Amino acid sequence: MRRNNTFRVVLIIIALIWSGYQLYPTFMFNRLKDQANSHLNKIAQTTGLSTDEINVALRQGQLEQRIRTALKDKSEGLAAVLDEAKKLAELDDNIAKHEMRAIKRGLDLQGGSYLVFEVDLPKMMRDLAKNQDAKFEELMRSVETKAQAPNVDFFDVIAQEFGAAQVRLSRYWGNRSQTDAQIVADRKKDATDAVDRNLEILRNRIDQFGVSEPSITKQGDRRIVVELAGITDVGRAKNIIGKTAQLKFSLVKDPEITNDVIVKINEAMKRSRATDRNDSTQVASATAPVDTTQAAKVRNDEEVSVNELFPQTGQVDSGAAVDDSTLLVDKEIFEENPFSSLIGSLGPDIGVPEKNLRAVERILHTPEVRDVIPEDADFLWSNKTEQLADTKYYRLYLVKRDPELTGTYLTNAQANIGSGGRVSRQGEWEVSMEMNNEGAKTFSVVTSANVNKRLAILLDDKIVTAPNINERIPNGRAVIHGAMDAEEAGDLAIVLRAGALQAPMHIIEERTVGPSLGRDSIEKGQNSAIIGFVIVVAFMLFYYRLSGLIANIALLLNVIIVFAALAQFKATLTLPGIAGIILTFGMAVDANVLIFERIREELRGGKTVKAAIDAGYDRAFWTIFDANITTALTAVVLLQFGSGPVKGFAITLLFGIIVSMFTAIVVTRVIYDWMTSRRVMTSLSI
Amino acid sequence: MVQFFRETHIDFMQKRNYAILASAILILIGIASLLIKGGPKYSIDFLGGTEIHVQFQQPQDPGAVRAALGALGYADAEIKQFGGREDFLIRVEQQESGTKISGDILAALQKAFPSDPPEMRSIESVGPKIGRELRTASVWATLISLFLILIYVSFRFEFIFAVGAVVALFHDVMVTLGVFSLLNLEVNLAVVAAFLTLVGYSLNDTIVIFDRIRENLKVRRRENLKIEEIINLSINQTLSRTILTSLTVFFVVVVLFLFGGEVIHNFSFCMLIGVIAGSYSTIFIAATLVVEWYKKHHMAKIKQRSAVAVR
Repeated sequence: MRRNNTFRVVLIIIALIWSGYQLYPTFMFNRLKDQANSHLNKIAQTTGLSTDEINVALRQGQLEQRIRTALKDKSEGLAAVLDEAKKLAELDDNIAKHEMRAIKRGLDLQGGSYLVFEVDLPKMMRDLAKNQDAKFEELMRSVETKAQAPNVDFFDVIAQEFGAAQVRLSRYWGNRSQTDAQIVADRKKDATDAVDRNLEILRNRIDQFGVSEPSITKQGDRRIVVELAGITDVGRAKNIIGKTAQLKFSLVKDPEITNDVIVKINEAMKRSRATDRNDSTQVASATAPVDTTQAAKVRNDEEVSVNELFPQTGQVDSGAAVDDSTLLVDKEIFEENPFSSLIGSLGPDIGVPEKNLRAVERILHTPEVRDVIPEDADFLWSNKTEQLADTKYYRLYLVKRDPELTGTYLTNAQANIGSGGRVSRQGEWEVSMEMNNEGAKTFSVVTSANVNKRLAILLDDKIVTAPNINERIPNGRAVIHGAMDAEEAGDLAIVLRAGALQAPMHIIEERTVGPSLGRDSIEKGQNSAIIGFVIVVAFMLFYYRLSGLIANIALLLNVIIVFAALAQFKATLTLPGIAGIILTFGMAVDANVLIFERIREELRGGKTVKAAIDAGYDRAFWTIFDANITTALTAVVLLQFGSGPVKGFAITLLFGIIVSMFTAIVVTRVIYDWMTSRRVMTSLSI
Repeated sequence: MVQFFRETHIDFMQKRNYAILASAILILIGIASLLIKGGPKYSIDFLGGTEIHVQFQQPQDPGAVRAALGALGYADAEIKQFGGREDFLIRVEQQESGTKISGDILAALQKAFPSDPPEMRSIESVGPKIGRELRTASVWATLISLFLILIYVSFRFEFIFAVGAVVALFHDVMVTLGVFSLLNLEVNLAVVAAFLTLVGYSLNDTIVIFDRIRENLKVRRRENLKIEEIINLSINQTLSRTILTSLTVFFVVVVLFLFGGEVIHNFSFCMLIGVIAGSYSTIFIAATLVVEWYKKHHMAKIKQRSAVAVR
């Protein structure tokens, strides 16, 4: 018995030392972080910089510079702020050291975003397809619907659907000699490669965004989970991270060709409207071309409902939801030139009122209209609207389908303010790009062959700008301008530098917690924990007196060891995790309740104190074991199935239960043994 | 010595029929409510959709919030005002544009309330596919835990004990689900986690009593007691422990419910109901099942069984 007890005491001491070692970094981290925050706030107050900006500058080692620029105009106070900055920088190193070993706080406590990206397989497969005919569209659409079901693999559905329709996959992908299985295997590999490559690109982009310790991990084969702690502008982050950023340079078709196409679209629409009305005699002959170069045309605008334009909406509707919004239509020419009535001119380009965007889009996708658009060209939109009078316009361009050049040749991209000159505009934010030799060569050839034509710069198939080529550009330098502000230009430079995503991705799950909710959660978690602990401790003291005190010591040890275990296993503490700890307060004392009740029974049965204690522990042990293991089992299941916060709950619950077996049984037993060994006890406070 | 219960001699088993009747009625009401409302009220975790929690500095008019959303084309958004009427929960069904919605809505609200721009508290956006995946995963997690428990308990005790335990757990989950449906509360991921925790916790109770029953079957076999008597004795012997542990757990769950904040509100409420249901079901459901079974199939074998005690 004595030796056994020595062993237990040694065990407890080891546990305590280990806990202290594990918890020290967390303790230091919290203390230093508080100090750092007070410096941070002081700097933010005097300089007017946001805390985000200060953090980014600090990490890039440019804080002093930033402060000097911010306080350019006033000389007083600079020294004091620089002193704060110096202290902050010193603290920051220290904090980073401790942070690595401190207990991690979940996004729900520190604020931040949890984003799940999934490779857009349908879009990827469409992009890879050699040709896209009506049959392809039909099959792909049914594939997309069926792939929505949980736990089905997109490629299995493709193989099934195309197989069922007896269409060989080689008609659209791979080459003719390949079997369906080979093609599916190849595309699967494409997708997996794309995810790996995208992961790297995301990492690059996020690094430049200035988030501390981002976590970017692959989930399964098709998903990437990004966790960004402490960011404040989630919208901007999503925009930067998720953008495909496919850069292309495409030639804009000559205005004559564009005009010609518009005329043909007018005719095609009239023909189909005439057929719709069963009025086949009224097919009009050629109409006067619309002069899109004419500026500021007088429009006789009127609001017209979409249904008026599309008598049989179902027929032309290409899957888009039917919208009942009104359109801006030039009534005078509506009958003669229905398409032209929807569009206007914006300088040398076609300008489409924002309201008409969907309608124009739909017209451009109808089969009759598609037939009259040249094979090698596409209508593409500008990336943002422009305000003219009280209407917002998008520009619409007819550009060559095959790009002259893509962003793969880029070596650098920088945001800067234009210095004026031939390609740059004085005082406007722009992004200047540099290309490698190969790119520069191609660019030089393209520009020299197309002087006085327009070259559109496309980002994800939206036109950012379409400048005129004045002369050959030999050095591979290009500039994007398009009414950007500093932030937009900076963000664009980031995504261009990091490169385009290999395959488009979209966000399928987002969980964002604002900083204030995070702070509230910490506060509420702490309060609940303290109140819960006090109630349990008070109850145990009241009911079991001295023995209650012993159980409470065990409970306190339990909490300490659970936190130490969180640090040791690099587990994340979440709000549900705190709830798990609070719940273990209630459950951990169960072991002691079981033991104490048993001891009481044995005492009532007439045993001596020592014998009763021995019997109590012996008999209660297996009950405690059985009862706890089932809770542990469910915690393990939760750990497997849960996402972030729920995992945090499962882990604290699991640790709490396991540790309670040690503290409630071993620790209390040592105390009792110590008490009974000192003197013969005739009664026990229990 | 403070003692709530001196040696009690309550005849629980005699009252078991009333208890079963009460449980049956409660569960039937719950099922009726579930049927009428077309299943549990799932949160966006399982349905997919976007939910934004914004907070103003001052109480604002829900109509003005709705108007701002209507201008964006989200007139059918669900808007819930809570807290001190400064907090709004806005929910939009999942649409094509996915996660862009939240940004648009925030921007629109900030524009509509220039003097009191709302602060983003949280955004949750779940794609429909993820929602379906989470639903399947939750069902699996529940089934797997029940299965593991069935195996463990039948390994440590007899199979009928395991069946009793699992039926009791099922009872707890059904009662809690029913209460959730009646009160129109949402089932989200955290609630599923609470369900699973309850499964573990409620079993804890059951096992303590089973353990006593097993012990008494062994120790008291010479007294030739009826199974009801043994079970009654066991329940009475462990009653004070059952009540005490339930009390401490109940205390902390009440604390969580009152002070834990809105984020884990449904979670703590689920635990609250479950803790009550769990303590009750152990005594009346699990033990009753064991009694019935023994009476029908096992009486003759009791002596043999207890002689070759499981442990």
